[in-house]
Amino acid sequence: MKTSTPMVQALIDAIGEQAVVWHDDDLLVYEYDGTIDRGNPDVIALPANTDDVVNLIKVANKYDAPVTPRGAGTGLSGGALAVKGGVIIGMNRMRNILNVDAENKTALVQPGVVNLDLGAEAERHGLAYAPDPSSQRACTIGGNVAENAGGPHTLAWGTTTNHVLALELVTADGEVQWIGHETRDEPGYDLVGCVVGSEGTVGIVTQVLVRLVPRPTAVRTMLAVYDSVRQASNAVSAVVASGIVPAALEMIDKMTIAAVEPVLNTGFPLDAEAVLLVEVDGPESQVEAEGARVEGILNRFEPREVRSATDPEEREHLWAGRKGAIGALGQIMPNYYLLDGVVPRTKLPDVLDGVYEIAERYRLPVANMFHAGDGNLHPCLLFDELEPGATERVLDAGGEIMRLCVEAGGAITGEHGVGLEKRDYLPWIFTEADMDTMKSLRAAFGPTENFNPCKIFPKGHGCGEAGHQHAQHQIAKFGPKAFV
Amino acid sequence: MADAEAASASEIETLFDDVDTDTARLQRYEVDGRTPRAAIKADTSGEIEHAQAQATSQNVAVIPIGGRTMLDLGMPPSRYDLALDLTGLNRVVEYEPDDFTITVEAGMTLADLQRHLAVNGQFLPLDHPRFERATLGGICAVGRGGLRRNSFGGPRDWLIGMRMVKADGTPFKGGGRVVKNVSGYDLPKLFAGSLGTLGIIVELTFKLRPQPASDQIVAVNAPSLEAAMAAAHAAAQAAPFLNGCVVLSPDAAADARGLGAKILHDQPSLLLRANGLESAASEVLSQALNAVRQTGLDGPERTTSAIVETWQAVADLELQTDSRHVRLRVGLPPANLGTAQRILSQQLPDASSWIVAADSGLMFLEVASIDAETIDALRRQLGPLQGRLTVETAPTELKQTINVWGPAGRGARLMHNIKREFDPQSLLNPGRYVDGI
Repeated sequence: MKTSTPMVQALIDAIGEQAVVWHDDDLLVYEYDGTIDRGNPDVIALPANTDDVVNLIKVANKYDAPVTPRGAGTGLSGGALAVKGGVIIGMNRMRNILNVDAENKTALVQPGVVNLDLGAEAERHGLAYAPDPSSQRACTIGGNVAENAGGPHTLAWGTTTNHVLALELVTADGEVQWIGHETRDEPGYDLVGCVVGSEGTVGIVTQVLVRLVPRPTAVRTMLAVYDSVRQASNAVSAVVASGIVPAALEMIDKMTIAAVEPVLNTGFPLDAEAVLLVEVDGPESQVEAEGARVEGILNRFEPREVRSATDPEEREHLWAGRKGAIGALGQIMPNYYLLDGVVPRTKLPDVLDGVYEIAERYRLPVANMFHAGDGNLHPCLLFDELEPGATERVLDAGGEIMRLCVEAGGAITGEHGVGLEKRDYLPWIFTEADMDTMKSLRAAFGPTENFNPCKIFPKGHGCGEAGHQHAQHQIAKFGPKAFV
Repeated sequence: MADAEAASASEIETLFDDVDTDTARLQRYEVDGRTPRAAIKADTSGEIEHAQAQATSQNVAVIPIGGRTMLDLGMPPSRYDLALDLTGLNRVVEYEPDDFTITVEAGMTLADLQRHLAVNGQFLPLDHPRFERATLGGICAVGRGGLRRNSFGGPRDWLIGMRMVKADGTPFKGGGRVVKNVSGYDLPKLFAGSLGTLGIIVELTFKLRPQPASDQIVAVNAPSLEAAMAAAHAAAQAAPFLNGCVVLSPDAAADARGLGAKILHDQPSLLLRANGLESAASEVLSQALNAVRQTGLDGPERTTSAIVETWQAVADLELQTDSRHVRLRVGLPPANLGTAQRILSQQLPDASSWIVAADSGLMFLEVASIDAETIDALRRQLGPLQGRLTVETAPTELKQTINVWGPAGRGARLMHNIKREFDPQSLLNPGRYVDGI
């Protein structure tokens, strides 16, 4: 057992022994998030309130230690990894829903509240919280705010940034600021818009006022089964172009079905190449008419069948196959690398072809389950990290897929964040001037250099370039710039 | 030239290409009684970059100008040397209808954009007064949601990408052209609502919506403004999917009629709008009207097919204020509107031309005059209701004695930091924004 350091002692003095984790075995749990990379924190601190957060930041600053905020650790870009060591501030103990104002459709929550728990509380008031990342059973609102999380139902309602009205922020210098306003009427810059999606690099969010939305009176979920991915993606483009805005429009391919079906028995046919999940909601009459129109469009692309469910239990069953997809992939290979490219929706069919071509060339199985309606792809490359060279191959293929999205006029991340994983690719879409301007925004939030360091922006002092040789590879291959 | 206040028209003429110093023409760029020494009409981003590089190096204070519909907003400028007219930047840069996104230059008017999109059955869901003149750059710089913000949000919610030019002339961008994107910081959101104080907006990319199959509007008269507001609140609660829910005082209703609105009389009026598929819009509207009836309103319902004209006339009321008068805007949680209205009408017995978006928590009213003490007192009373009061338009002499924005709150320190990072010499729209920015 190692002995405590002066900083650990100071953290214990600040928030109590029970709330500080520093023994090596315990730290292991915090080395990972949902990505391939890892980081080694020196100590974990678990604050119970805003004052604790302020005190922790002051201790970290005193010892010049990096600070990495963390929610549930479900992130998919390495955002919660303590790349330079230091203190991880885990927000999980701050998990109270402080208030729901049904009349004004808002809720005040602590950052450690689990997304699905907020959804359930909103439902008790006849309302909903729209952003619903697939990890919603575990992921926290604080993490959702940091990453500007999305989910299937953000097609109609927008991502987290469209649903956060105000928040309490502890900045890197330990100051507490309330920013934003119940109806966005606070005069001045949209500071909330700057903080949401800033990936924990400008401060720690300690309270969040979110917007709730009315629950639709009727919902219909349709499942369409296709014999080719082309047919399915053409059907997606046709639904989008028709002017109907479905509540959700998701695609699941054959590899995903193969993983999901034996575990979850969702009834997806194992020999289908792709299935689409399309949901329409709203007033009863709207759902009936729109459902019929969507069904008509789906039928134009020669589906094997189109199933439809309006009963909550049946709908839940259909969704289980989508939301449980990532977890089920372990059936096929021990490791996965999940990408998050986004492309203009008309480019979807071609880009999907390209994704399969790249995966084949790198001899990697690929599963696709994604937000087709948004053009937000999630190719999931499957591999076994124990096989020599497999990880490198996966990372190279991943870089090539991101490049494909960028060349189609898209972006490198739609909802998972740049984090550690994609920071070297940022110059593919942004010039030095773009990135310098972003950094100047970060600087406005105070001495943020030690705040979630090595995230979003390429390079960075002491961030260790070696781990990112794959990115350097791809950048050398394609040149530094594409769509800048 | 350390003291730019001394920059004369002739000096400015030597600094820029194609600069206009004609005194008569410069009148159109007046802001709060202040006329610039010169104006430049930029047609390309390159011209803006060049102009800004020159302006910053020579300490010239610049106000970016769009359709000039909201120039009354904000404090009087502390300096104003050069008007940078962006209305020449009015092209569509890229439009792929099936992607439901469009990229346009900042000087394009909202009306032109809507006409462009209508061909493909699409639209940008923003209400803005005088949309024939208001430019998208200006609308985003002002950055506010309109009368239907409960359904539609504001410009921030539709912007997915932006190109800008920094005070020093450096071009940069944020976001992209895809509807979902978390690559890098969200600079378009920072610029939406920044009133031209951080840089010049050059190009914008929006996500779009399909035009609804059916759009329906209904007006009902009420015996009093209070009764109309109570009915509107009931309607918004009963029918949360209403697209719009606005109350007008008799004089506002009459003015809106003068501007082309149908179905409004010179009486307190409630205006409800619903859209979607025809059956759905009707369903929402009848839910709302049932709730309205239950509050005791029993006048006949009137409807019209001139929906866009009627709604736009109501939106235009925001800018109909007599230039000697004062228009106030109050934003607050919808449930507090009734209480706020009582406070305002007590303190301002002569208040007129009320417009209340009941589902959105937004209220506009006009007074012949007001003083700083009354404004402070109102802000103190509205504070506990989470109300924020802005003086939208007022004579310049009055604006010099009041704070039109109200206190900046605890975010002020961060806002000053941001301003310093983006415009360290404070040359863009100096003094007009919140907390002296």
